[in-house]
Amino acid sequence: MLTRRYFLRTSAIAVAGMGSAPSWLLRAAARVEAKRKILIAIFQRGAADGLNIVVPFFEKRYYDVRPSIAVAPPGKPNGAIDLDGRFGLHPSLQQLKPLWDSGQLAIVEATGSPDPNRSHFEAQDQMESGTPGKTTEDGWLNRALTPATPATSPVRAIAMGAKMPRTLRGNRNAVAVSDLQQFQVRNQDAAGILERMYAATADSQLKAQGKGAFEALKMIESINRTPYTPANGAQYAGEFGTGLRQVARLIKANVGVEAAFAEIGGWDHHSNEPGQLPPLLQQFGSSLAAFAGDMGDQMQDIVLVTMSEFGRTAAEDGNNGTDHGHGNVMFVIGGPVRGGKVFGRWPGLEPD
Amino acid sequence: MKRLGRALAVAALIATTLTFLGNAAGRFDQKLSLDKQIVHVLNRLTFGPRPGDAAEVRRLGIEKWIDLQLHPDRITENPALEAKLKPLESLKLGTWQIMEKYSAVQPATLITTLRAPVSPIALLPPLQTSKLMNGGTVEERRAVIASLDPDMRRQLLATAPPQVLQGLDDLQQEAAKVRQAEQEARQKELRRLMPPLNELLTPDQTRIARTGAKEEKLALINSFDAQKRQQILRAIGPQAFLDIPELRREAMAANQPQQLVNTELIENKLYRAIYSNRQLEEVLVDFWMNHFNVFNGKGQTRVLLTSYERDAIRPNVFGHFRDLLLATARHPAMLLYLDNNQSQAPRDDLPAPPTGPDGRPLRRPGLNENYGRELMELHTLGVNGGYTQQDVIDVARAFTGWTIYDPARYGEFQFNPANHDRKEKVVLGHALPASRGEQDGLDVIDILARHPSTAKFISKKLAQRFVADDPPQALVDRMTHTFTKTDGDIRAVLQTMFTSVEFSSEGAWQAKLKSPLEMVVSAVRALNADVGDVFVLAQRIADLGQPLYGKVEPTGYPNTGEAWANTAGLLGRINFAAALTAGQVPGVKPDISRFNFKPPAAVAGELLSMAPPRGMLASIENGIEAKEATPSMLASLVLSSPEFQRR
Repeated sequence: MLTRRYFLRTSAIAVAGMGSAPSWLLRAAARVEAKRKILIAIFQRGAADGLNIVVPFFEKRYYDVRPSIAVAPPGKPNGAIDLDGRFGLHPSLQQLKPLWDSGQLAIVEATGSPDPNRSHFEAQDQMESGTPGKTTEDGWLNRALTPATPATSPVRAIAMGAKMPRTLRGNRNAVAVSDLQQFQVRNQDAAGILERMYAATADSQLKAQGKGAFEALKMIESINRTPYTPANGAQYAGEFGTGLRQVARLIKANVGVEAAFAEIGGWDHHSNEPGQLPPLLQQFGSSLAAFAGDMGDQMQDIVLVTMSEFGRTAAEDGNNGTDHGHGNVMFVIGGPVRGGKVFGRWPGLEPD
Repeated sequence: MKRLGRALAVAALIATTLTFLGNAAGRFDQKLSLDKQIVHVLNRLTFGPRPGDAAEVRRLGIEKWIDLQLHPDRITENPALEAKLKPLESLKLGTWQIMEKYSAVQPATLITTLRAPVSPIALLPPLQTSKLMNGGTVEERRAVIASLDPDMRRQLLATAPPQVLQGLDDLQQEAAKVRQAEQEARQKELRRLMPPLNELLTPDQTRIARTGAKEEKLALINSFDAQKRQQILRAIGPQAFLDIPELRREAMAANQPQQLVNTELIENKLYRAIYSNRQLEEVLVDFWMNHFNVFNGKGQTRVLLTSYERDAIRPNVFGHFRDLLLATARHPAMLLYLDNNQSQAPRDDLPAPPTGPDGRPLRRPGLNENYGRELMELHTLGVNGGYTQQDVIDVARAFTGWTIYDPARYGEFQFNPANHDRKEKVVLGHALPASRGEQDGLDVIDILARHPSTAKFISKKLAQRFVADDPPQALVDRMTHTFTKTDGDIRAVLQTMFTSVEFSSEGAWQAKLKSPLEMVVSAVRALNADVGDVFVLAQRIADLGQPLYGKVEPTGYPNTGEAWANTAGLLGRINFAAALTAGQVPGVKPDISRFNFKPPAAVAGELLSMAPPRGMLASIENGIEAKEATPSMLASLVLSSPEFQRR
């Protein structure tokens, strides 16, 4: 009955109640909790151009169909960073190279939804529901969670952002947090009264929600009380980085996170791609690298996977950009990952 | 620590058992007391009781009051509502007028107007085009380009597809330079037409415009001529003027005119939900808009939704289901949202697709099953309503040719026979003979509107909205019977439901969790707030997870409670209630002074339109003991309570 996870959760509440975190408890918690596997999903909204992110520089056709926007092969100025003699990272992803070298980064090429839809919203919907071609109410990451037990953490599944993303919607409890510091009931007196009111209600559904909400609140409050400094000098970049930094902070607080979701938008580069892609990739790559650095050895229990709704046309368009296409590249990052390798069957390039 | 753990585990076990018992008790045969019935009908047929509503229902009698709500033309509309709606100009315009009026200069359109609309390659003599596009030698292509006048040469280089300049390194470099220069020119022009704020205002003025007092802002903006005023408002954007609705609207018109159309539609919805005396009509417009969901973020839908709600949904919410279904099927908003406008007869008789002017093969148009599928799955039969994939295909074929006339400027329904599939179809066992054009789709509407699965599916969904998430089957059966008997008369089905024992039973009491829209609007109504602007209110509803007209999926927002019960949502509601009662939601002035010097029981009683439950009152009274509880704090506790999250 009394599982270790359960013990940890109640002790985290007790810690919150006492107002300070006894370090022996947190250290003990860390040892037990290290067994927990954590999955983090990253969504690149807008259809990222996988071909300029992981460049197939061995393909002559890549340079044929992209005369103005192709990334030069390794060795040339501003060239791709060679990975395996065939594929190379965009130069703005320099910070991911060490993860590749240490075998923590795997790349899956030419992957995507089997549905030929090229509408952003429908394709995102299908990618997030995980059931292309079918209407499903919940998201794949929510479905992947095990049924809740009394020991399940109120912050087991966390989405970074104001809204609950489709990926994490469903029957299992998940919490959307745009800013940990804002996750609070502003009026402290009211918070206490309402907690007791919800605990006393005969309304079983809302009683459970109230319990979850106030527990999550306390956990996050106690986390907020300790200032956070990322480990190993990790430097998160931009809004996306801020989100990942909060994921790292929650995981390190050992409050039972099992799944997390973060997103980064702005990939719909129909024009001026060479101007728009590098700063975005810079934010993307350096934040992912910062997260891995910040988590350090704990990456052994973490897998992070990136996705986008679909890829872009292999051929450039008339505005130095690309249009909606199919297939894309996914990054899989983590300790258990068999990295340093490009997975997937490369089918060659068709113009669209 | 261990003992604490065990105690909590036991408590959790007990809670689980209680949950089970709570759901098992149906009690749909136990009639509510008169007091509860009054609050119940207000909770179900309106967006929540205002002060005085319960007394009005009591005075008229419940039956009479329901009958009036079922016949909104007999209810005098609230003059306050009419005043609120008056400034919303786009609501009164036809789609073509909206398209004409609200398509002012936008950066995106501006950029395209700076470049010739037609690719210069298409303007060359055919032989030259052919040499450039279809593999002329390096010398041939060089000669063609050399023969062009400078302007044409510049345009061609800027837009030429890769094969035109293959092997011509010098021309490729020139093309890159031309494109660069074009980009700079565009940015310069953009800067001239839309100067950044620091070229329009001094730092002091900028500070006033962004964060000054209302009067200061108005004085500053009013001191500029019309053109500069527009540039300034565009550069600042609407968020700076949340306290001045006129300027907020003007800034939006300058900044994102099409967004203003959508915002006015949202304002219309919220003002009606808050102020209309014809509450059931508003509840039903919301219900059917959600049933026939159209997402405001797909293409031009945001300028089509105004007409969709006004012309297709609203006139039919008490009518026959078939008419409502047909009105949605023909509306450009639906045609666009579910891609039927692009659906064409499959042309498997044609050779492989030809090549476009850019050298890429054109995509061959064909059948789009999107609408056909959702029409049966979501609008009529329900997912297990007894149709096959072949039915989906044949329904889609029947609707080929149902499209939009001039979607960019006119946006009205058009049947285009050229795109219609003339061959015979079979839909749910009914043969549709060949070559009947538009009649195919009309027949499908009739077949689906009169199908027994539709009667069941619609009756159950209505019962879910008005009675309980899992409504008693006997009630759904009686509603289904009425639906079938009256050829889908929605008013008659509602009557069957509202007069049923189940509707006024303990089983239905407080059985529904409010959606964010319902929670926010009912709180505003309970507080009898004076609403001068709903812009921020709409943002709060979106923050709580229900952006209005913003549901991406054709399923619409969920009709049942589980989806809305989540931890972050609950905290959001609590914080919203606190902000609202403290007067911190711009545009909304709550009437808190009427709670001055009143005890918690009285405050809760007024906000809930009934005596508050004992448990809730005890929590409040014990909680505020020895503390100075302000009226707004009391009100916020009531609006945050579990009871207020239900209707």
